[in-house]
Amino acid sequence: MKLNLNQQRGLWWTISGALILAGIISMALSWNQYQAPLKPGLDFTGGTRLQLERDCSQPDNCKTPIQITDIRQILDEQKLAESSVQVIGQDAQGVAIRTKDLNQEERTKLTEALTTKLGQLDVEKSQIDTVGPTLGKQLLASGLLALLVSFAAIIVYVSVRFQFDYALFAIVALFHDVLITMGFFSILGLTRGVEVNSLFIVGLLTIIGFSVNDTVVIYDRVRENLKYGAKRSISETVDIAVNQTLGRSINTSLTTGLPLIGIYIFGGETLKDFALTLIIGFAAGAYSSIFIASTLLAWWRQRKERGSYMTATDSSPEEI
Amino acid sequence: MLKQQRFLLALIALLVVGALIVVTPFGKQYGLGKINLGLDLRGGSQLTLQVNPTEEVTDITPNVMEAVQTVVANRLNPEGVSEIVVQTVGNQQILVQLPGVSDPKDAEQLLSQVAQLDFRRPNNAILAQVNVRSSELQRLLQKLPEAEKAGDAAALAKIQGEVQEKQKQLTELQDQFFVKTDLTGEDLNDASYAISQSQPNKWDVTLRFDVDGGKKFAALTKSLAGTGQPLGIFLDGKSVSQATVSERFKANGITGGAAIITGNFELEDAKLLANQLKGGSLPVPVKVEEIRTVGATLGQDSIRRSVLAGIGGLILVLIFMGVWYRLPGLIADVALCVYGLLTFACYVLFGVTLTLPGIAGFILSIGMAVDANILIFERTREELRSGKTLYRSIESGFYRAFTSILDSNVTTLIACGVLYWLGSGLVRGFAVTLGIGVAVSMFTAITCSRTLMFTAISIPSLRKVELFDSKKAVS
Repeated sequence: MKLNLNQQRGLWWTISGALILAGIISMALSWNQYQAPLKPGLDFTGGTRLQLERDCSQPDNCKTPIQITDIRQILDEQKLAESSVQVIGQDAQGVAIRTKDLNQEERTKLTEALTTKLGQLDVEKSQIDTVGPTLGKQLLASGLLALLVSFAAIIVYVSVRFQFDYALFAIVALFHDVLITMGFFSILGLTRGVEVNSLFIVGLLTIIGFSVNDTVVIYDRVRENLKYGAKRSISETVDIAVNQTLGRSINTSLTTGLPLIGIYIFGGETLKDFALTLIIGFAAGAYSSIFIASTLLAWWRQRKERGSYMTATDSSPEEI
Repeated sequence: MLKQQRFLLALIALLVVGALIVVTPFGKQYGLGKINLGLDLRGGSQLTLQVNPTEEVTDITPNVMEAVQTVVANRLNPEGVSEIVVQTVGNQQILVQLPGVSDPKDAEQLLSQVAQLDFRRPNNAILAQVNVRSSELQRLLQKLPEAEKAGDAAALAKIQGEVQEKQKQLTELQDQFFVKTDLTGEDLNDASYAISQSQPNKWDVTLRFDVDGGKKFAALTKSLAGTGQPLGIFLDGKSVSQATVSERFKANGITGGAAIITGNFELEDAKLLANQLKGGSLPVPVKVEEIRTVGATLGQDSIRRSVLAGIGGLILVLIFMGVWYRLPGLIADVALCVYGLLTFACYVLFGVTLTLPGIAGFILSIGMAVDANILIFERTREELRSGKTLYRSIESGFYRAFTSILDSNVTTLIACGVLYWLGSGLVRGFAVTLGIGVAVSMFTAITCSRTLMFTAISIPSLRKVELFDSKKAVS
């Protein structure tokens, strides 16, 4: 198998462009609905989330499924009608409630009312999170700052080891991967109500790490071919480099993907969305280092070569 | 060359044995052998406290944070026995971890209150005014029934208005009734709770002062003894108890440095108050900004299923490597196992707390460790196909893959460094595990795989090209 990347680079760019565009449209729609590009989870909005399950070891406790109307009634009584309620678990024995930021008394009152209505709850299986509204902003701010600084550091390192344009396109590829992942989750947020929390931020950081890693491997080969290889056009050199590393790209994607797919299918609830984030991001990363970062580099170098040639001919008439 | 190889083999063996000691129960004797699991994995509660500046303390310095941290730890863990973790995060936040606690309401209450204890004495001038005003009120109240009998609506309304006015004045006076003394919670040595002597099923809080506080307490009670004036005990500016000091302490006051607050406490309240007092007062108020509680079963279930799924995926990776890359693949598998072992040993040695993001970092670092091996073996195959000898191919495979591995891993390490430096809790945990993983994987992929590989081809029966490249065998 041999890929002639640079012949069809318009096609690769269109595919990526279309995916990113779809994501951006979704993020715009999402902004309209949630005032955020992705449906924000508790970590960013603040509030209280209770995930409670009935204690099924008690006799007759779990005979009927939990009725959402019962929960709504309790929430109305406690003036928490704005909250969202979801019945969870296969046998509908659990409930997830998201409310405004509750203090300790309000929380106790709510769980007591729920216990009276639903029967004994299993504390061992419950999960309660309360997040103040400022924390998410801090997390976002410190995360973004960390990101910008690490971008700068990566650009410096890659510029020193390679050249500045390599570094620039590595970062372009990285934005490509992040945008595709965000767009995908934005669509999930609109269609299936999937929320993003702080683990999603960690997921994006992981994707960034992987993306640069993957791009640098191909660049390394381009650099080597330019140094030792026969005199070829830059497009050809890049094509050869990508094809030489293709086996590695496929195998590495496979070996990093396998544990993640395992976690996505069989892993615990909390890690599912996280594994999906990484799967999407790594797939985008593998695609972008093969089809985007390398073709952009070839296109840019070609343009520069042609550009210098053009100025040379442009200046020649004056000399006559 | 051979000497160097033997040295490296010995080094690897040494590291493996060392790592085994660290991660197995054997190391427990030396306080090792355990990886801390984050609360998201083991169950429990985690609170984030925001420290707020006040008018008196406008600048939150590291010293203030340290003081707050000490008080928080003392209040939550008065006996100092439980596994509570209190640490400063960032500039103005404190992270509290309560393993195994499924409802942190006591902790929340203990922390959100400032609990400033102080003793107050009545102000004599105001006491006199109070007496005047209350006798005036009494007279007015006596007039009320007369006015009612007379049926004079206007007069009645007037008297009622006056009564209300007097009552308002009285409450205002009572607010100023007690004045602060120099005896405060800071003079306290210890606080505890005991069953009440006077009321059945009620609890008292007993206080023990330090030497200085004992003297102040004696002086205060001496001045009040026999006067019938109450001694006020205030918590956060609210009266919790008022006591009169009897005539017999007239001479010396109450000496011995102990006091009892008889506040009709329930057991829980008495316990709470005693712990608050014992912990001392916070120099600045704290606000509970975030609470996360994960039920023990839920956390364990999550980790068990995820670890199983991850291990399943890894076994597939090991099989894939062996099938696809043959002998080098098997060597890579050994190197990967060494990698896993060394990484876990590093986690133990560096005291890494493993959380969900940490697991993510670990998974990614495995991916990079595998990637390094794949890079080397793909390169070795290329060299073989270009007609080089086996030994030369392997050698240049390692040599030429090295720059790729170095550059790609250094960029990741740079990102880890920045994330650790600027990131907060969650992001930091991720950066630490990924950083350790990448560093260890560089060592195992380059040194460990290489040494094992050259050791393997020193065995003549393993020196066959088809063990390295399946296509070579066919063609």
